[in-house]
Amino acid sequence: MKASSRRTTSPRKAPPSLGFDEFYRQNVDRIYRFAQRVCGPEDSHDLVQETFLNAYRGLGQFRGEAQPSTWLYRIAIRVCLAMRRRKRSGGDRELSLEELIPTEDGDLQLQIPADGLSPQETVENRELRRALNQAVRALPQKYRLVLVLRDMEGLSAKEVAAIMGLNERAIKSRLHRARLFVRRELSAKGIGSPTHDTAQTLVGST
Amino acid sequence: MSREHPHSKATCVKILRRLSAYLDDELTANICQEVRRHLERCPRCELFLNSLKQTVSLCRDLDTKPLSPPLKARLRQEILRAIRASA
Repeated sequence: MKASSRRTTSPRKAPPSLGFDEFYRQNVDRIYRFAQRVCGPEDSHDLVQETFLNAYRGLGQFRGEAQPSTWLYRIAIRVCLAMRRRKRSGGDRELSLEELIPTEDGDLQLQIPADGLSPQETVENRELRRALNQAVRALPQKYRLVLVLRDMEGLSAKEVAAIMGLNERAIKSRLHRARLFVRRELSAKGIGSPTHDTAQTLVGST
Repeated sequence: MSREHPHSKATCVKILRRLSAYLDDELTANICQEVRRHLERCPRCELFLNSLKQTVSLCRDLDTKPLSPPLKARLRQEILRAIRASA
């Protein structure tokens, strides 16, 4: 009897979302981290909420062909693009290799001011972290999404291609441009030079 | 003491275009060897590679603020409220 009454209940009205709660619990940290990296702290809450709201609405259609996290990243990216449209930001500008690959000796030799720092000191260096966040945020969105998924979230090119609906070649091309852009931003920021003294100063600033 | 650059700029540019693939171990053995040989003889491209490597490493190590349990609970409540409102 109970079973038949359950069968007549629409899935949306099913006992409030035990499945959803579990899904939320398992994935919210990942999506919050992704949101901070992609849109910064100011919009990260909105991105998390809209992503899970859309996921809830689509949960019934999720057939498990992809990993839940892949599916969720895909939703988060759609939300991200929609948020950007609402803000009426212009289209993404293209990054060309010609602009990013230096041909002058001075540019070629620019270094990231982290020489002389241990990996731990580098991670803890506030100025460097701020500069890196700014550089990533300055990337046109389509490049930023690839860099975040690939180099920060640690997904493979194949996974990123599946999430973004592009082929691996396009992902690798965007990734290279994104890395070159961030490298240039960091090294040209003038937050230091590759000297030991500067490294010491940066350590001191944390 | 300035060292004379042993290659044409075009050769360096060709190598620099492949550095992410080189770092990610995506090149064929032949091309990988070509890049490695160039880097051994070209200090400027090697410097550039190091800075790119460092950029990737910084990105990998950059942490974010963790989601606190109260905020996690509040976000969940707000999502559920939005779900109920749109039902």
